[in-house]
Amino acid sequence: MKRIILKSFIILSLVAFLSSCADVLNAPTQSSMDESFIFSTPVLAEEAVMAIHQSFAEQNSYRGRFIPYYGLNTDIEWYNTSEKTTDDKATLTGYNPKVSDSNMNTADNAWAKMYEGIERANLCIRGLRTFGNVQTNEQLAQLLGETLTLRALIYNDLIKAWGDVPARFEPLTTSTLYVAKSDRDVIYKQIIADLAEAESLVPWPNGSTVTSSTERVNKAFVKGLRARICLAASGFSQRPDGTVRRSTDPDLTVEKLYPIVKQECLDIINSYTCQLGTFEQNFRNLCQDKVTAGLESLFEIPFSAGRGRVLYTFGVKHKTNDQYTEQAQGGVNGPLPNVFYDYDKDDIRRDITCVPYYWDFGVQNGSKWGGAYQVPNKISQWYFGKLRYEWMRRVVTSTNDDGINWQCMRLADVYLMAAEAINELESPSAAAPYLKAIRSRAFPTNSTKVDAFMASATAGKETFFNAIVDERALEFCGEMLRKADLIRWNLLDTKLSEARTKMTALAYRTGSYADLPDKIYYKTAVDGESLVIYGLEHGNTDAEGAALNYPTNKGWFISDGLNNLTDDKISSLYQLDPNSHQFWPIWQVFLDSSNGTLTNDYGY
Amino acid sequence: MKEAKPQKKLFFNRLMLAFLAAIFTISTVNAQVKSVTGVVKDALGETIIGASVIVKGTKAATITNVDGAYNLNVPSEGKVLVVSYIGMESQEVNIRGNVINVTLQNVDKSLDEVVVIGYGTAKRKDITGSISSVKAEELASIPVSSVAEAISGKLAGVQVTTTEGSPDADIKIRVRGGGSITGDNKPLYIVDGFPVESINDIPSNDVEDLTVLKDASSTAIYGSRGANGVIIITTKSGKEGKITVNYNAFVSFKKIAKTLNVLTAPDYAKWQYELAMLKDGVPTSYEQYFGSYNDIDLYNNVATNDWQNQIFGRTGFTFNHNLSINGGTDKNKFAISYNHIDDKAIMQLSNFKRDNINFKLSNNPNKKITLDFSTRYSGTEINGGGANEQNEVSSTDSRLKNVMIYPPFPIKNLTSASGMTDDTEVGNLYPPLVSISDNDRQQKRTTFNMAGSAAWEIFTNFRVKSEAGYDNYQNSDYRFYGTTTSYSTDKTQTAPKDLSGLPAIVLNNDFRTTFRSTNTINYDFKKILGTDHHLNAMVGQEYIIQQLEEMTSNVQGFPSFFNSTNAFKLTTQGTATSTDNYYNPDDKLLSFFGRANYDYKSRYLLSATFRADGSSKFSEANKWGYFPSAAIAWRISSEPFMEMTHNWLDDLKLRFSFGTAGNNNIPSGQMIQSYQSSITTYINGFSSIWRASKTMANPDLKWETTTTRNIGLDFTLFNSKLNGSLEAYLNTTTDLLINFPVPGSGYETQYRNMGETENRGIEATINWVALNKKNFGLNFSANISFNKNRINSLGIMNDYGQDSKWASTDIGVDYWVAKGGSVGQMYGYLSDGRYEVSDFSGYNATTKKWILKDGVTDCSPVIGTLRPGSMKLKDLSGDNLVTEDNLDRKVIGDANPIHTGGFTMNGRLYGFDLSANFDWSYGNNIYNANKIEYTSTSKYPYRNMISTMADGSRWTNLNADGTINNDPTQLAAMNANTTMWSPYTKKFVFSDWAVEDGSFLRLNTLSVGYSLPHTLVSALKIQNLRVYVTGYNVFCLTNYTGFDPEVSTRRQTTLTPGVDYSAYPKSRQIVVGLNLSF
Repeated sequence: MKRIILKSFIILSLVAFLSSCADVLNAPTQSSMDESFIFSTPVLAEEAVMAIHQSFAEQNSYRGRFIPYYGLNTDIEWYNTSEKTTDDKATLTGYNPKVSDSNMNTADNAWAKMYEGIERANLCIRGLRTFGNVQTNEQLAQLLGETLTLRALIYNDLIKAWGDVPARFEPLTTSTLYVAKSDRDVIYKQIIADLAEAESLVPWPNGSTVTSSTERVNKAFVKGLRARICLAASGFSQRPDGTVRRSTDPDLTVEKLYPIVKQECLDIINSYTCQLGTFEQNFRNLCQDKVTAGLESLFEIPFSAGRGRVLYTFGVKHKTNDQYTEQAQGGVNGPLPNVFYDYDKDDIRRDITCVPYYWDFGVQNGSKWGGAYQVPNKISQWYFGKLRYEWMRRVVTSTNDDGINWQCMRLADVYLMAAEAINELESPSAAAPYLKAIRSRAFPTNSTKVDAFMASATAGKETFFNAIVDERALEFCGEMLRKADLIRWNLLDTKLSEARTKMTALAYRTGSYADLPDKIYYKTAVDGESLVIYGLEHGNTDAEGAALNYPTNKGWFISDGLNNLTDDKISSLYQLDPNSHQFWPIWQVFLDSSNGTLTNDYGY
Repeated sequence: MKEAKPQKKLFFNRLMLAFLAAIFTISTVNAQVKSVTGVVKDALGETIIGASVIVKGTKAATITNVDGAYNLNVPSEGKVLVVSYIGMESQEVNIRGNVINVTLQNVDKSLDEVVVIGYGTAKRKDITGSISSVKAEELASIPVSSVAEAISGKLAGVQVTTTEGSPDADIKIRVRGGGSITGDNKPLYIVDGFPVESINDIPSNDVEDLTVLKDASSTAIYGSRGANGVIIITTKSGKEGKITVNYNAFVSFKKIAKTLNVLTAPDYAKWQYELAMLKDGVPTSYEQYFGSYNDIDLYNNVATNDWQNQIFGRTGFTFNHNLSINGGTDKNKFAISYNHIDDKAIMQLSNFKRDNINFKLSNNPNKKITLDFSTRYSGTEINGGGANEQNEVSSTDSRLKNVMIYPPFPIKNLTSASGMTDDTEVGNLYPPLVSISDNDRQQKRTTFNMAGSAAWEIFTNFRVKSEAGYDNYQNSDYRFYGTTTSYSTDKTQTAPKDLSGLPAIVLNNDFRTTFRSTNTINYDFKKILGTDHHLNAMVGQEYIIQQLEEMTSNVQGFPSFFNSTNAFKLTTQGTATSTDNYYNPDDKLLSFFGRANYDYKSRYLLSATFRADGSSKFSEANKWGYFPSAAIAWRISSEPFMEMTHNWLDDLKLRFSFGTAGNNNIPSGQMIQSYQSSITTYINGFSSIWRASKTMANPDLKWETTTTRNIGLDFTLFNSKLNGSLEAYLNTTTDLLINFPVPGSGYETQYRNMGETENRGIEATINWVALNKKNFGLNFSANISFNKNRINSLGIMNDYGQDSKWASTDIGVDYWVAKGGSVGQMYGYLSDGRYEVSDFSGYNATTKKWILKDGVTDCSPVIGTLRPGSMKLKDLSGDNLVTEDNLDRKVIGDANPIHTGGFTMNGRLYGFDLSANFDWSYGNNIYNANKIEYTSTSKYPYRNMISTMADGSRWTNLNADGTINNDPTQLAAMNANTTMWSPYTKKFVFSDWAVEDGSFLRLNTLSVGYSLPHTLVSALKIQNLRVYVTGYNVFCLTNYTGFDPEVSTRRQTTLTPGVDYSAYPKSRQIVVGLNLSF
């Protein structure tokens, strides 16, 4: 018996020894790299920061959901099919969103992708702070600054869309997986501080190789974003208790934050690292993928050529594949019909912003025309003209994506923010130069009109403020800044109801629209594609139009005896009270997966 | 069982007996003290001639004479008489008095049968745990390609579900319900000692024995992997004796078992017109493709295409043959087998091929040493994309959909883009054949397994065995995405150079190698403990390393005319957008285990096992798991007080076991958030990014543990004519390993330990030999299992819903996971029929809307614009409004059957044999998602429907003149005889109308065979020649209206069982085959 036990023991212990001598149970990850190496190596760290953009570009993220739908509807922009009021896209943009909206209520929706971006940013920030020598390595410093900025950008957008949201500034752990929403003020304070830090880390445009492209974060954008966030943080918004008010936090008052806005904006303007150029050039550059820093564009989300739906959503509509595009898209969203008439006829921004036609083939003289040409639409449906397939240098062939960058901020915004803050802090006259810079650009050959405008605008603080409110509409129409502006000014319901009134007047041609003719008269220009159109301007008459003897005309306001711009369409601008529906609800799928920590406020 | 003895033999026996009796009588003459006489009989009362009668502990012995009588002189020290006879159980009788008559019982073969247990074998009678097994003979009568399919309905407590009708269909095996909520409930598969991922590639012919370990006392020996049961397969090995050659072949013909009727061409056109009018108020979208409504009569003459027949209608053909050679001497034994199957499936463009080679060699250089070597090769080739696939998030590319609802006649210009408004899949209807060829797939799997072992009996009853093995698995999965697929047209895959809208392929290659080294020591304490006590102890150690390398390449932008064959072979014609060779962290498992089996006089049995597992999948603190178990059994029939029952009760054993086993079935590398490099095509200037894995790390992960308690009763009656067992169990699984979705956190999922589930159940098995004569026999066997699953706790989570996603995002949560509930609870609305005209106060011609009466439930948030005929749902929240939130939905179905089981009948008559295998499931619900898709529009235009919605059944709003009727009285009159609602809904709606009773009884196989008489075949040196005809899926009794009630197609999580969506239809087969042995 002893012998048996002994032998067994020897054999077993031998086996055990053989097994345990090496790292028998050690199985490190293989197709992966260690955090310490990634974040101390600039090329790798840069690719980790770019992963945040990957989250923007996912199907239902910024690409297909947040950019196309967030900024709608406003007093100048709407979802072009808003009249289909039972459609989820119309309820989403028409201030009647559903928790189970079919476009948004998916696990891969913008909400999830924004938090994915935040998590990636949090990991990068931790990694760079722990392992990256940001004090001495400029590249790593730039990356840290860039990450802080991108995180602030996402948080600002989250708050814009959902109000209070969960605050996560550290990488997730199991214990922080389920957290409740935190007050937006907490997040604002954090990101305003983060951006102050980022300013010290990131060079000015063209201050380094990296910042020579608008696809990378530079100091001008950091400052501009900080100014924008300060305006929002000190502005009005709907709170969970239902009230619409400014923050009560002593750190987020107008008195505390407007000086920052002023300082940041002036820093940018006075750095002369960016320049305004012409209005049209900025959008042509955008369409032509020109990303050289130092022009008007401060920062763009760098969608690759086959990604993003910017032009698809906001461009001039092409009904079929044609000489300019193999993607028959555009015109999902457009300006309200009255916006065209809100511009002075000499404002060069008008025809760049509001487009009354789409592109299509047609039959002329019995044979198919050589290429698509512009075909007038009707009063009820306009297209944004800031983005055009015809301005592009490449031909889009993808059916769904166009590859145009999303411009997050341009210099004109900095000028107008400066004007707004200085007017508030100092006086209209002190603020005037910054408004004038923008106005002068809009009227390059008509300085008399500019001077007259400036004279009346500077009459008083409130007058100047109202001038800023209007100027921002004319300048940024189609750039999805308006909704957040209206909310922070507490003008959302006022302006939207004004827009309804304006549209009704327009549809029935009363008031200031009474001088518009019934029809439009048009022909195709000698280039074979441009539209020559008569009848859109105040003072045009049907008699004059008919006398032009253009081959075609049609009812602009009325077809088959009915208004083109129907009452239903006008009222679809907002289905419920906008002011109590400033935010989207958190989608059902995220409520369901929040383990009870998330709930919807604002009456959802 | 007692064989009828031929008369000749009887005479010979009597002669021998007389002779032997004479010798014994002489030799025992001198020791005589006391004389005992008696008669020895068998259970049927027949006298036994030649039974030996010995006085225990002495040399006194004799045998019974021709009359079964004996006469023996017992020495003074003699106390006990031992009576024995070949084929019968020995009996010991105390010597009291001078006449001792003894009745001997037949030895129950089944009790001495060797049963495979983990790391060893045991006799069935000594088993203390819960074990079921199937032997080669039982599998032989079921001509199917894989053993997984063959065991369907054969084992109590083992539910086998063939999830679809395709030749490579996933066969879901669940032992006692499975413990996990969302984890992998797959049992552990062990083939010849080796853990494998799947047993689908094992031909049924190669299997000697398949054993299922069900309770923890049996599975604890597999420690961390045994929680969901263990299925151990032993393949055939060489047997001593003359070389035998077996050849089996069969051919089978199969046809689709059931088809569903769809709308005829004119009815389809009519509905499309009504839909256009309902949707838009104008017929533009109709006229675009179908012409003017005035000409709708023309469709009366248009033939209706039978797509089901065109796609699934061909006669499938299978050829399967198997050759095995087997033989050896006492020193060397070998077995070699070759199996080939070639299966042309019923679906166009799909077929299946498999080759298996199995070779086993055993060598005994001397009595103490045994050397074994085996290799196993399996090569499978599957062509065709099937009807759907699991890794598709939505149902965009489901193929059955196109077969069922593609327009019944060709429509000019109806392309993928028809009716499309943006990327939300509005059009998405493709010609069925195009949809199949555009979703083509080619899979090749190769498994090569090699194992060797050496066993050495160092001294008597002390055996050391060392095993080593290597397993190599390669899987190449080539998927083609034609121009109509969402992968090709979409978006997420767009590369920098625009490649979308062109054919693309994804090439996936997995290489997995597993090394295994096992050492065991076995000692039987026979010599030491004497005859009454038996103790057998085993200790062992095992080390398994698994390495997995996955290579994925995406090639896009092939010329638009390329088909799958071109694309797979001419990859350079496309643009390679991504190559990812991913090395998984190794999966290592180091284990120490031991087992002791003790019994006293085979009457009281005790066994205990213990295993310690260390796994590389867990952090340092949680690496080791310990899994103890114990079982006791009481052989009641061996008790002296049961003696009077011996004439009818052969064996009665009561067992009880308790133990724990684990589950570590999660991917390696969950401990730390690793950074992965991945290709990007989304960002200017960058082609790759570093990002955290989309699965959130969890350093706190540990084993999932299942504790089982099992009580069982085994009985054998009437000379083994009737045997069976009855078991009850209670399994609780704690710290469930779950890949839990965490959308909105920044990650998609996280593995965690969460909650507790419970499975309790009862199982019964019974086998009855009704007749067993030389020329005819009949036996029955049946089993039934009841299992009840319950979620005891969800840990930190509240109750939550799960989305089966068959309709993309249309339906949302359709399964409910709740504390106190079970896994598989379907969640949806209660149907309330349809809105009648009387539900409305009238029609407002200005707003063009029907006005609902006060107090009538408003379902518009779910159904869309309401009008008479709209689908109606019940309001549960009490606000007269049915919304999409959870308040108006409840649990409306349960995928869990109350019981499942099977029964088998085998009969033989002279050369003929007959076997019938039935299986059933009772009380489970099926979520008939097909029915929803085929009877409602959701947002999709131009789709056909099944005849449930035929004209006359569905609500109609259409006047003969092509206008929509809004007159209450007329509308009511028009629909006086219709029964269904109008198919026009905003979205697909899951209500209890689509929950159907999935109970079925299927005659799975019915086989008739004929073995040619020996006299005939022996001339040809043939031992046996049998020909047979088998019908497969002969009939299926069910109330289910879909294709087949045995279905489960949304298998990405185990939370959504029982969904019938786009399943490959099942077929009915006729098999003709032969078995030949030399």
